[in-house]
Amino acid sequence: MTRHELLARISNAETETILPDLAELCRLHEVGLDLIERSHDLDELLDRVIDEYERRLSALPAAVLDRRSADRAPESLRQLKALVMFATQATALKEKALAAQELKRKSRMLEEANARLDGVLAALSSGIVVLAADGTVVRANAAARHLLGDVDAPGWSRALRDGIAAGADGEMALTVPAHGAVTVLVSRRPIPDSPGSEVVLVTDITKRTRDAEERVRLEKLAEVMKTLAVLSHKINNPLTALLGRAQILSARKVDDPQVMKAAAVIEESSQRIAQLIRELSAVVREGKHDAIEAVLRMPMESAREDA
Amino acid sequence: MWIVTSPRPGIVHLEFDGGDALDTANAAEAKTSALAAISGAKQAAVDLAPVEFIDSSGLSVLVAIYKSARARGARLRFHGVRPGVRAVLEIIRLDRIFEITDDAVEARG
Repeated sequence: MTRHELLARISNAETETILPDLAELCRLHEVGLDLIERSHDLDELLDRVIDEYERRLSALPAAVLDRRSADRAPESLRQLKALVMFATQATALKEKALAAQELKRKSRMLEEANARLDGVLAALSSGIVVLAADGTVVRANAAARHLLGDVDAPGWSRALRDGIAAGADGEMALTVPAHGAVTVLVSRRPIPDSPGSEVVLVTDITKRTRDAEERVRLEKLAEVMKTLAVLSHKINNPLTALLGRAQILSARKVDDPQVMKAAAVIEESSQRIAQLIRELSAVVREGKHDAIEAVLRMPMESAREDA
Repeated sequence: MWIVTSPRPGIVHLEFDGGDALDTANAAEAKTSALAAISGAKQAAVDLAPVEFIDSSGLSVLVAIYKSARARGARLRFHGVRPGVRAVLEIIRLDRIFEITDDAVEARG
């Protein structure tokens, strides 16, 4: 049985003789329910309310609202009471619909602001992560997800909080499945009026760190090569003299075989040293860093092997 | 029945000119002429200052022109409502349905 059929049934002629206003009350009840159903939409509600006002006012005896009038017939008063009851409910629902409309407007504004914020965050090349007070990720832009991988995993925010003090900046070395080892510069900043929550700015400095390390390595290498050049030059002069004397001794054909043997050893060793100096000088001259590093590693490896 | 002015296209000002009462005696004519006056308006201000008495027929006129404006997406505001008329509007809560202002300048936008 529909609501309308039920109301019609209980407000039939028989019950009307017992309760004279029952039909009107049922009608009011029905209108009220109809208004409630429409109260989600202010315009729809007002259209229905205005229609109902129009209907009730046209049925209301004109003089009933006139204080000077003698028309106080029970039927007129009953109609006026019903109008007032309807109007009271209608205005309450109108105010509710107005509040709902305002809420919708604000909600829409909030959604638009959120969309704008998402757009701004998406456009940033730096990673932005918003953390709630309990460390859960509320929002992370595309750059942060690209850089950090699974930022929603609890391990990340825990590592962040363990590694960098609240409100401070610092570097973090991470291993991200997509990129391997990365170094990031992290800035933690509290969000005003939102206790415990914070915004985290994450910048990839992996390349910057690698570049800095490479720069230091090249500077060290340049120093080593400069030292090698100086040493080569300084060794070469006494070595030339040593080699010259050894060759003179060999040319004189001294009778003492031990002297001749010693002169041959000195000459051979001097030649080997001269060859080594020439090779080192060539390496320095041509800037063969790899060869220098290989040479520099040799004694350490030999030392390790010896150990 | 109404003094109608239109300071700008789409804006209409109505001032009641049918005596000091809006009731059964003049409601039909007042309704017809008011509906015609606001038919093309996007904004209307209705001055009820001359009206000292209103009955349910008069109220029907106000409801009808308010409804007509709403149906066309126009804004309609009443002003110059005298205490006796306001009391009647308050009894049946129309003061909380209509847009009513004490300020004629505000009503006229």
